[in-house]
Amino acid sequence: MRVSKGARLTAGTALLALALTACGSSTPSDGGTAAADQPVRMELGEPQKLFYPGDTTESEGSEVLAAIFAPLVGYDENKQVVDEVAESIESTDNTVWTIKLKPGYTWHNDEKLIAQNYVDAWNYAANQDNVQGANGFFSRIDGWADLNPGEGQTVSTKEMKGLKVIDESTFSVTLSKPFSQFKTMLGYTAFYPLPKAAFGPDGKITEAYAKQPIGQGYFKIDKPYNKGTDQTIDLTRYDKFAGTKPKFTKLQFKLYTSPETAFNDLAAGNLDVHDSLPPSAIARAKSELGERYMDEADAGVGYIGFPMQYNKTYANVKVREAISMAIDRATIADKVFSGTRAPADDFINPLLDGYRAGACAVCSYDPAKAKTQYAENNGPKTLELGYNTDGPHKEWIEAVANSLRANLGIEVTVKPFEKFASILDELDKKTYGGMFRMGWAIDYPSAENYLTPIFSTVAIKTGSNYAGWSNKEFDELLSKGDTAPTQEEGLKFYQQADDILIKELPYIPVYFYRTNAAFSQHVKGVKMNLLNQIEWTEVEKAS
Amino acid sequence: MGRYILRRLIQAIPVLIGATLLIYAIVFALPGDPIAALAGEKRIDPNIVAILREQYHLNDPFLVQYWYYLVGLLSGDFGTTYAGVGVDEIMAGKFQVTINLAMTALVMEAVIGIGLGLYAALRHGRASDSMILASTLVLISIPTLVTGFVLQLLLGVKLKQAGIDLFPVAGVADGWRSYLLPGFVLAGTSIAYLTRLARNNLVEILRADYIRTAVAKGLPRSRVVGRHALRNALIPLVTYLGADLGTLMGGAVITETIFNLPGIGYQLFNSVYLREQPVVVGIVTVLVLVYILANLVVDLLYAVLDPRIRYE
Repeated sequence: MRVSKGARLTAGTALLALALTACGSSTPSDGGTAAADQPVRMELGEPQKLFYPGDTTESEGSEVLAAIFAPLVGYDENKQVVDEVAESIESTDNTVWTIKLKPGYTWHNDEKLIAQNYVDAWNYAANQDNVQGANGFFSRIDGWADLNPGEGQTVSTKEMKGLKVIDESTFSVTLSKPFSQFKTMLGYTAFYPLPKAAFGPDGKITEAYAKQPIGQGYFKIDKPYNKGTDQTIDLTRYDKFAGTKPKFTKLQFKLYTSPETAFNDLAAGNLDVHDSLPPSAIARAKSELGERYMDEADAGVGYIGFPMQYNKTYANVKVREAISMAIDRATIADKVFSGTRAPADDFINPLLDGYRAGACAVCSYDPAKAKTQYAENNGPKTLELGYNTDGPHKEWIEAVANSLRANLGIEVTVKPFEKFASILDELDKKTYGGMFRMGWAIDYPSAENYLTPIFSTVAIKTGSNYAGWSNKEFDELLSKGDTAPTQEEGLKFYQQADDILIKELPYIPVYFYRTNAAFSQHVKGVKMNLLNQIEWTEVEKAS
Repeated sequence: MGRYILRRLIQAIPVLIGATLLIYAIVFALPGDPIAALAGEKRIDPNIVAILREQYHLNDPFLVQYWYYLVGLLSGDFGTTYAGVGVDEIMAGKFQVTINLAMTALVMEAVIGIGLGLYAALRHGRASDSMILASTLVLISIPTLVTGFVLQLLLGVKLKQAGIDLFPVAGVADGWRSYLLPGFVLAGTSIAYLTRLARNNLVEILRADYIRTAVAKGLPRSRVVGRHALRNALIPLVTYLGADLGTLMGGAVITETIFNLPGIGYQLFNSVYLREQPVVVGIVTVLVLVYILANLVVDLLYAVLDPRIRYE
């Protein structure tokens, strides 16, 4: 009823507005272009940087690059790695990998795609002098250390000795240690090749290239992107693309500052795909869009972590278990997040192979057992819970605090940090002793990516192991997984490592992220891959 | 007159230097590492972070950093963001949008505010006067955030769904039409204030002796109101409008976010958040300049409105 009243009100206002502006306002918005040339319009936040593949570690820039570049490997519906530009990626010992390219791929400037393009791009990204954000992704390649001698040291070579061009379409990669998941990594943005035209006379990627990157993917960029000024990034299908081409010719990324505004634009028919609906728009999206609202698993995980390395308060695993059991994950996912999260029950996300439903028994809500176990083990009388206010975390952290207060009968304080970076900073300096919120989005879809970067001993120094937790057996299982002859066998070891995490609980998994997307009636077949990017080959224009 | 303008402009220089120093210091004092902020939730290789910090002089003390900035500024270099994009490039495009928005708002404010104020003053004490007073009170009490979202939903989304494409929902792709709705939202409270200011002023003046004299002389009503009353009433209104221009430009954060306008307000907010000193200081410097110029123009307008005012 409220809707119809609103409609009448709008009609009235519309008439008034029309009368006021008289007939002068009837100019068509963009000169009546043919429907076939209408681009498919996709929501995007402003990319953080210009388009340097080796320096783009955030999702917005990656989404654009993924349309312009074709990766060596992709991920199919069964969560398996499939060759895309690569014809084959083979290794007998998980150390030396031979990568052969499919014929027929060309750059958008008509040059042929060759193996050297990969070697050039990777050597560039791995060189500390080029300060590329994704530099660390190359650390497994033999010779990476030579390019990264450390601050103030000069780099003596420009090439990693692990990269060798064999012939025009084949190159080999030698790793410093065996790694069975290497192939899976190769779909990541950092591993795109670069054409000769990308490099200036000084050997650096030119700014002109970063504004209008030449790729070898299914779309090419129409004009240079002026960051800060442009509100759209326009792409046109590259018809000489050798792989599967999209069924439509023009793609437009529209940049938005607020996801709510983007949703309004979608409702008004000015936008076609929106893949980051805010919780505030979920109810409206469900009722207004019906089938065009999508709710899918997303590979991210949200945790609460313990500073195990320097605070002994939580040293007893029984106490950590009790804290975990006292958290009402289902209610938090449902009420606080309006169903845009799912309760976590494993360290590995359900989107990937290796997830086991209910693997983490102490992740299920059991207030009675939590209370007795906490009391029996003399758990601390007060707990502190830190979170960052630059993300949507206040509500769920408060909810967790309430769960703990009510179920454990203790005092719980929440401590807001202005930024996520300030939490990380204090954890690095060992000055914050409370529990803290943490999140992880994967870099490449492998169960291993939930383990090594966050919980391995080496990750205390070089990765994201903010708990400072270290377990020899865990590290050994990881290296067994890394050296396993097949993906499946590797997975077994990773799951055993996962079991140790569940037993030891350096972090408590709280929720799995979900992707909430919507699309307009102009398109159909919207699908997302494991990297949360839209599969443009599947999308079609409707009618 | 010329000397007066020159003196005012020279006075602006210490103000500008003081403002940049102050803003630089404030952004410098914010907690958190800008390079870490750049990485978001991911962690960059510590080695790379160290090199970047060195490159942007982030390990140097405050005054040294400010010195680097000032030296750059004197040679016309506004610096770069920590993501390596030129600040001048960012500002150029964004100021255009904000100027368009602020001008739309200012024109609406002047036309609607003064118009309604005049109308109410002439109908002083009648029902339409009370209605205008009441509705301005409502407009003042609703926050911009609410008017923005409600008008966007009603006049943008619902109207478009009904087949009438009059007010774009978001963005600046539709030229001047893009600014109508956000311009109104931004001007909202100011329109209400200006209406009340104009009305009260005019009511006062219309009761003055010289107005009665003018009417008694048999001057036509339009001349009495237009030349005698309104012109006198405009002085405080112009002061208000001049001061408001600066506020409109700096305070456009909410409006620009709701209507997805790539303007300076949102950029400023975002840059403070990312601790990008060069961007924040650059924008604020230009805003200070706008304030100074707007005030100068207001002062000069006084002389036009009231010939008794002279500048030496």
